[in-house]
Amino acid sequence: MVVSLRDNDDLQLNAYCDGELDPVSAGEFERRLASDASLKARYDRLSSLRQAVRSLPQIDLPAGLQARIRAKLDTERPSNVVVLRRRSWSFQALAAAALFGAVISGSVMMTIEQYAQRENLAGQVVADHIRGLLAPQPFDIASSDRHTVKPWFTARLPQSPQVPDLAAQGFTLLGGRVDVIGHDPVATIVYKHAAHTVSLTTLRPGQSVSEQTIAGYNVRSWSDVNFTYVAVSDLPGADLAAFERAFVAAEPSPEIK
Amino acid sequence: MSVPVVQNEDERAAFDEVFLPHLPEAYRLAHWLTGNASDAEDIVQEAALRAFRGIKTFGAVNARAWSLAIVRNTAFSWLGKNRPKALVSISDLSATERAELEQEGLHGTRIETPEELVLLKADAEEVQEALTKLPTQFREVIVLREINQMNYRDIAEIANVPIGTVMSRLSRGRQLLMALLGDRK
Repeated sequence: MVVSLRDNDDLQLNAYCDGELDPVSAGEFERRLASDASLKARYDRLSSLRQAVRSLPQIDLPAGLQARIRAKLDTERPSNVVVLRRRSWSFQALAAAALFGAVISGSVMMTIEQYAQRENLAGQVVADHIRGLLAPQPFDIASSDRHTVKPWFTARLPQSPQVPDLAAQGFTLLGGRVDVIGHDPVATIVYKHAAHTVSLTTLRPGQSVSEQTIAGYNVRSWSDVNFTYVAVSDLPGADLAAFERAFVAAEPSPEIK
Repeated sequence: MSVPVVQNEDERAAFDEVFLPHLPEAYRLAHWLTGNASDAEDIVQEAALRAFRGIKTFGAVNARAWSLAIVRNTAFSWLGKNRPKALVSISDLSATERAELEQEGLHGTRIETPEELVLLKADAEEVQEALTKLPTQFREVIVLREINQMNYRDIAEIANVPIGTVMSRLSRGRQLLMALLGDRK
């Protein structure tokens, strides 16, 4: 999906109305509102819509629903207790079955949790990419010079990735930022390809993120001994694959003196 | 053989504390998702039962989001079973329609002039009708945002989608709503 300026404006306008922009972006947005009549008109229109929806008559809880729910729960019997009383002869079999069930559902839950974590990881990386696009710049340090970006990371993070310049392969280095994934600050290198922004987030090694599309952004991930890399962009999958090849080929870049 | 009913007092106490305080909101959400009172009541009863049975899975973080997520999921499976036609899903739309909704909105990339962007003057009935017409996924995020007044993070948790999707659905949903209200005459 190509995020046009208009799209970004709409997301930002909505986030501003919903009070979800950070204070700096909100201040920035207010300055734009003051100087852009068309944006201001869209803001007023959106506000009038929100007002109209919010002033719809409130739907009240039907009288007695809470009492009906309570009554229904009173007849709800914990099924395991009932079974135990009825069939006390099969207690051992039941206990064995319960244990077996616990093992099975335990491993299923673990798989589900791992899956959820993995998907969640990709979701967080994409969320940071989107936040980057919504911010005035998608990076904290702007520099097309890797000798500036790499030391900037080194000064802030325990582990900092190589920052290759891939301009020859069509991916211009824009800068870097620190994202927070889970509770860990991680380095994200930002590249530009034509009008598209690529965020390359570097996680600790040994994590797996599947190739997928989230909210219209393509996610591609690979690993080496130092990092698990997650690239996010609105570029087509094939271009993101080319980016991976270029990045991998560029490593390891010569040590910075 | 008579079987004594054994109440698990702890679970009942937890249910009363976690789920019951959000009953009015739960009902409101179910009402907006189904469009009528009797369906909403069925769903809230079913959701309450699910919440009670699963009260041990409550992670003690956000009781409101946890409760509304159960109501939301109950409503979607209930709609899928009983009112499949009402449940217009984005994935049911043709690829073109989907692209239109997800990417272009109704007016494509055309930028309106300030004069065209008149304020909405619709009465409650018209707004309600337009909101009812929205595909469920868009209606859901707008109701959670404006009626239940949840923030993006909680909406993402309840609808089980990333925050980016919440943002794009809110933006598109509101555009659709404005278009529906604008086209009504």
